[in-house]
Formats: sequence, C-alpha cells, structure tokens
Amino acid sequence: MPGEIPPKQRFFCYNLSMFLQQLINGLTLGSVYALIALGYSMVYGILELINFAHGEIYMLGAYFGIIFFGLFTAVGLTAFSLPLALALTFVLSVIFCASYGFTIEKIAYKPLRNAPRLSPLISAIGVSIFLQNFVMLTQGATDKVFPPIFGTAGFRFLSVQMTYLQLSIIVVSVILMFCLRFFVRKTRMGKAMRAVAQDKVMASLVGVNIDTVISVTFLIGSGLAAIAGLMVAMYYGLVNYFIGYVAGIKAFTAAVLGGIGSIRGAMLGGILLGLVESLGGSYISSEYKDAYAFILLIIVLLVKPGGLFGKAELEKV
Amino acid sequence: MLELRDLHTFYGPIEALRGIDLEISQGEIVSLIGNNGAGKSTTLMTISGILKPQSGDILFEGESIRESAPHKIVRMGISQVPEGRRIFPKLTVRENLEMGSFSGRGDAASAFEMVFGLFPVLQERQNQFGGTLSGGEQQMLAIARALMCHPKLLLLDEPSLGLAPIIVSKIFKTIREINREGVTVLLVEQNARAALKLSRRGYVLENGQILLRGNGAELLNNNDVKKAYLGEQI
Repeated sequence: MPGEIPPKQRFFCYNLSMFLQQLINGLTLGSVYALIALGYSMVYGILELINFAHGEIYMLGAYFGIIFFGLFTAVGLTAFSLPLALALTFVLSVIFCASYGFTIEKIAYKPLRNAPRLSPLISAIGVSIFLQNFVMLTQGATDKVFPPIFGTAGFRFLSVQMTYLQLSIIVVSVILMFCLRFFVRKTRMGKAMRAVAQDKVMASLVGVNIDTVISVTFLIGSGLAAIAGLMVAMYYGLVNYFIGYVAGIKAFTAAVLGGIGSIRGAMLGGILLGLVESLGGSYISSEYKDAYAFILLIIVLLVKPGGLFGKAELEKV
Repeated sequence: MLELRDLHTFYGPIEALRGIDLEISQGEIVSLIGNNGAGKSTTLMTISGILKPQSGDILFEGESIRESAPHKIVRMGISQVPEGRRIFPKLTVRENLEMGSFSGRGDAASAFEMVFGLFPVLQERQNQFGGTLSGGEQQMLAIARALMCHPKLLLLDEPSLGLAPIIVSKIFKTIREINREGVTVLLVEQNARAALKLSRRGYVLENGQILLRGNGAELLNNNDVKKAYLGEQI
C-alpha cells in the first residue's frame, strides 16, 4: 500500500512514541514526588530533621480531597460549578493539612528542639504511625475512591496520549515550584528562612523569630504535600491510609538525590526519580519499579555523597 | 543605659559567668578585656538573649531584658557583631545587610546609605555572596549588618581577630566614628591596648568575674594589666 510505513521505520516510530509516552508519565509522577520532596528538604534545611510524618500529610491531603469533594457533591455544588467545587476542595485541603503540619511541629518537635538529634526523629516516626492508624480507624482500612471527574479525556500529539489531568498536574507543580522559588529568593520571610538555614544564632541576632520561620516552613511544606496528595487521588482514583508511606520514602529519596536542604535539588530529584521509575518500569521490568529509585540513589550517593545539588558537609567551628 | 547585676550564666555544665556587675552609660565606648575563656563572649550572648542567665538581672534603659527573646532584644536597639563575624555565606552582601534591618527598626534606605558611606567596598560588592569576601571585608560587613537596625547599643566581639594590622586600625577608626554618631559601644577585645586606648572605661574579666575596672588610661597603666594583657615586663 502506498501510505504504509516501512517496517524499520515503523519500529522506530513505535519506540519513539512509547518513549515519549513514558516521559509524560514519568514527568507527572516526578512532579508529584518533587512537591513532596520540597517539604522534606525545607524542613531539613531549617531543623536538620527528617520529618518522617511528611508522607502522612500527603496522605491526609488525598483524604481531605475526597471528603471535601464528596461533601460539595452532596450539597450540589459540584453540579452547580465543577471548577468552583474543585478550587474549594484544594483550598480547604491545603488549609487543613497546613494546620496539621503546624500542630505536629508544635506538639512533637518543638519540645525536643534542644534534645539529641535522634529524639525528634523517633518522635517523627511516632507521629507517622499515629496518623496512619488515626486515618485507618476513622476512615476505614479499605480503599477510598475519588470520583473520576476527568476520566481519560485528553489530547494526542505526536502519537502520544496525554490526559488533561496529567497536563494539569505538571503545570500546577511547575507553577508552585516557581512560586516557592520566588518566595524563598525575594521575600522578606524567604530571606529569613535562608538565613535561619545558614546560621540560626546569627539569624536571631538580627531579629528573626526562629519559631515563626520554623512554623512557616511547616505550613508551606504541608500545603505542597496536600496539593500533591489531592492530585494523586484524582490521578489514580484510589486512596488508602498507607499511601503516605511509600510516597514519603520515594520523596525522601528524591530529596536526598537532589541534595537534602536544597530546594532546586528537591525539584530536580523528584522529577528525575519519576522519570527513572517510569522509563525503568517500561524498558527493563515493571516488577522492579520501586527498586530503580533506590538503585539510582545508591549510585548518586557513591559518586556524589552530598546529592546532585548538595554541598559536601562542612564541619561548623 | 545598660546594667548587668550579679549575672550568672551557665554554658552547659560550666558556670561561665560568676557574678558580673557592669554598667554602660549613653554615648560611651566601654571595653571588656580578658583572656580566652574568661567569659567575654558569654557576656555578650547573655545580653543578646541567646544564653539565658541562671540568676542576676540585665537592665536596658531601666527595663529588665533577661527573659526577653533575642529578636525582641534587637528590636529594643541592642545589636551584636558576634565573634567570628558569622556572615551568612550564601546570601549576597546586600541580602546580608537586608537581614540586618529585619527587625524593622528605623528606615532601611537611610541605613544602607550610612553603611555604604562607612564601607564603600560593600557597595561595590553588594551582589557577591558573603562567603566570598576577604576576612577584613567580612568584618566590615558584620559591623555594617549590625548597624542596619539603627542600634542604640552596639556589642562588638573581637572585631580585630585574625585581621591585618592596617585593617584593624581602620576598623577601630570606624568604631570611633560610629560612636561619634551617637551609638553606645561595648567592645570585647583580646587586643587590650587598642581597645583601652579607644575606650572611656574598661573592665578586665577573668574566670567569669570582673577583676578590675577603671577608665581606659588607668587600666593601661595598671601593672597587673600590663603584665597579663599588654605583654610588658615590669
């Protein structure tokens, strides 16, 4: 037939489109990891604490999303205006998760500010277990469903299928990351955050209230995790009380990969991790999907122990 | 203006200050000299609220500040240039100075004008990272940063440490200039001679206690001070 593509070329086209397809899937996943990783990295930068409860905030974000969206559907708001219902769901989830993050810091970490470093870490693991069980008991152990409002609607381009939801996840993540970058670089509070991360005593000596900066850090990190959780709930449609564990470990890996404490590192670490998972899953074997992240982490840490954008640890005198 | 009354501060398990009494009046330069570990930096950190005293009191303009948080003490007008300068290495020179005005005391624009007038080199380097400056420039930046909040009282911890003599004399000249503008100065120094020459009064600190006090010239001529701190043979 005249219009047929020769076999060799067809093989190439097929491969290219599969590659691009996985690239899009990986970017979607990676931008979610990046949003969660930012919270780990920011808190570590300020407190040198690995906040193991952070994955649970992401899980709570997904649950709050389902609860509020369900509520708005029940009262008819969703039928009245879907964008309004969605926007309100996002806003409320962010507010609730941010207040969880804020409260967790005040209850579980602040009293241990001057304790040995292991104590807040153990406290963080405790909070994580508590939140998982709290959600399991109040929401049940079975999967919850986020109604498929977007379905698989999307568009094709270059023989690659991209859903509107995937596009939205990537766009929202990128916008949030730019906002965060602007906040940290240009605003008064952002500069104070950087100053506190570099030298807490000196930041106090110029008049920064360290407690305020720490609270703001937890508010922002938790808000970003809430958005990530909500977007994933919409993307996969299913949520359970345990999703924070794996996502938390992956995002933590992303943060370490990029260089923990570095905001740019968390963003790129997350996206890299998503790409590796998605490409590894399709080209090597999807059975080991979860292992690629950690293999990548081990390789990076062997070559560059501080992570991609981290600095070699300097002993403070 | 500032009064320390029988101040005791622990640094971990060690009693670093064992009953300090000290007074500074408006407009003075007062120096606090003593050996390493005598408690000089501990005194300044206690005044700034970073370390909390075990007992005793700190009065600033008649008001007790011993329970105040560090950021509130800055807001009241006490600013410190700490030992080792503690420049924020990954902030630019300009951002370091902006942090200096974080407390919102007075107007930042006029403060920039003043510190760039005192240290023109900082204006040239305002977009460089603080960590890339030389030691002398970092000391200038540290002093400038402390001046950004229009302080009433400036606490200076060893501003001459590790600097070339020519820079030290420039720094001391600047301190005198700052004082003439009406800023009261408490100067901690191991370089006792330069400090006492500059100061109206001085205190000698040893093992967490005030050993001697007097006006600058008196202390410079005191035989104990000469032997212990000025390296003179008697």
